[in-house]
Amino acid sequence: MMAEPPRIALSARHTSAADVAVVAAAELGGALLLGLFLLADDSRFIVALLVLLGAGFAALQIRPAIEERIVAAFRNARFTALGLGSAIVLAYPFAMQGSSYALHLLVVAQLYAVLALALNFQLGSANIPNFATGASYGIGAYTSALLAIDFGVSFWLTLPIAAVVATAFGFLLGFPSMRTRETYLALVTIAFGIVVHQLLNNFDWTGGPNGLVGIPAPTILGHSFAAPIELFGARLPSQANFYYLAAALVALAIVSARRLHDSRVGLAWNALRADELAARCQGINVVWYKMLAFAVDAFLAAFAGSVYAAYVSYISPDNFTFLVSVTIMTMVIVGGMDNTLGVILGAFLLTLLPEKLRIFADYRLLFVSVVVILFLILRPQGLFPQRPRSYGGR
Amino acid sequence: MAVPLLETRNLSIRFGGLVAVSRVDLSLAAGETLCIIGPNGAGKSTLFNLISGIYRQSSGTVRLDGRDITGWPAHRIAAAGIARTFQSSRLFGDLTLVDNVVIGMHCRTRTGVIDALLRPRRARAEFEAAAERAGELLRLVSPGLYERRHTLAGTLPQADRRRLEIARALASDPKIIMLDEPSSGMDDRDTDALIEDIRLTMAERPGLAYIIIEHDMRLVAALPERVVVIDYGEKIAEGHFSEVRLMPRVQEAYLGQKAAHA
Repeated sequence: MMAEPPRIALSARHTSAADVAVVAAAELGGALLLGLFLLADDSRFIVALLVLLGAGFAALQIRPAIEERIVAAFRNARFTALGLGSAIVLAYPFAMQGSSYALHLLVVAQLYAVLALALNFQLGSANIPNFATGASYGIGAYTSALLAIDFGVSFWLTLPIAAVVATAFGFLLGFPSMRTRETYLALVTIAFGIVVHQLLNNFDWTGGPNGLVGIPAPTILGHSFAAPIELFGARLPSQANFYYLAAALVALAIVSARRLHDSRVGLAWNALRADELAARCQGINVVWYKMLAFAVDAFLAAFAGSVYAAYVSYISPDNFTFLVSVTIMTMVIVGGMDNTLGVILGAFLLTLLPEKLRIFADYRLLFVSVVVILFLILRPQGLFPQRPRSYGGR
Repeated sequence: MAVPLLETRNLSIRFGGLVAVSRVDLSLAAGETLCIIGPNGAGKSTLFNLISGIYRQSSGTVRLDGRDITGWPAHRIAAAGIARTFQSSRLFGDLTLVDNVVIGMHCRTRTGVIDALLRPRRARAEFEAAAERAGELLRLVSPGLYERRHTLAGTLPQADRRRLEIARALASDPKIIMLDEPSSGMDDRDTDALIEDIRLTMAERPGLAYIIIEHDMRLVAALPERVVVIDYGEKIAEGHFSEVRLMPRVQEAYLGQKAAHA
């Protein structure tokens, strides 16, 4: 059985200095590792960092007590963890030595983290295989871009509109999907993704294969997101604007994920993941909850799409292919189903690895397949597996 | 007589040429316990699946409190007040015991996606209250379960799985609980302990009606007042256990031809 002694430590509610030290070490260590990785040029150094990361996870695998300790520290020192984490995220661009490439990678990684969190509602919580997250991402991006280009709608207004449009499509996809299950459901979502891609490619008003060019950058209080940030005598490249926007989106996704996970809705999704028939007999309307999962996935993915469109200012159907959906799925599997932190880590790893190690980029699909197979064999629950919910008294 | 709590009329289901349940009439009053016995493959579990909405009947009706619930989907029937357990227990194995019982309260709680996202305080309060009640239910069914309420359901031994299933069924505040072979896969000692726990639970909630499918004759003799015998999908006898067991037709069907002639 599980060792009981750590629980006594958990029940102590006050924050101890040891907890603060553990939290600070974990957050600063993680930030440092990411920073070294982003700024490294030498591929041998990058491989060495990866080996270090791998060793860390091997240690977690061998000694689960380490993970328990870290989780307990974060629970006890919640406000310290939140404050320090926010400070690190806010200060991070200043530590990037003005490298616009490093910031670009961070923006993309964060957008993928949002997409992976979106898919996690389905794949992680409810075990619904959805290969159409890339399509929802695209619908969000195109809606936002078309509104901005053709009608001059402000970016901030296109964000919610794009999300609503993509959610409507999510329901549209969810509806026929409910007649199928598992493998067949996966096929329906693959088909949906391909249909969306083909439509974007063939309509005139979406710009066809050439896509949409000249998507305006958002402005806030007269400050254009295309301009660099001057702050405290430091000058951050223009990517920093989108870094902060993407960080806000990640925060929104994390809060949503948390709230839904620790609610009646998250439990209902978990129930139908574990045993659909038993879930129905508990009064759970399985069809409705599956459609909800599609809708929530599409809603968040569309947010990421809108930001992406405004960021790169040029989108084409090839940004939203089947491969994008597969990559997002891999991030969830690698990171850990139904674990917020795990999914974000998976997104960062799978975005940054092919960028930093060019050798992977040429064999992207092969790389993704090998990673998935290795994980399913070695650590099927992902880097950070799902954790039991905690209730008030604990 | 008042309207029965649950009433089936002519309830039948055919799978192709096979008539699995044929024209079964059942009637159950509030607070009553009914036992369904019969040989393997007689159609007892199929009958449960019909009543709980997992299968759709070929003909016949099901009424709950006088209301026609024939052909309703399973989740609406659960919400209407019929909870059940399964013969091979179907728990949510990768969730904790508390989670399992809170899920059982699904149709008695309200939080939706919008509430969870935009009114976190209210959602959280409902969630914590549900968890608190889940703890009480677990303690009621078995103090041992309460002790282990934060462990995963998949790690429980067989007897505790049954208890947890009963707690989960109770969580929906049902009018009727249907237990599908609660003693299956358990030895005599575990069965005795389970009978005791079921008895306590029954005493705790006098208004609750039970339908129990059972093979273990000791459990049948110990618990219910009324017994229905099913064979080849048909009801062949009904009455008190002490009378029913003496009927030749029942002995033939249930205990085998040899026993009947012995």
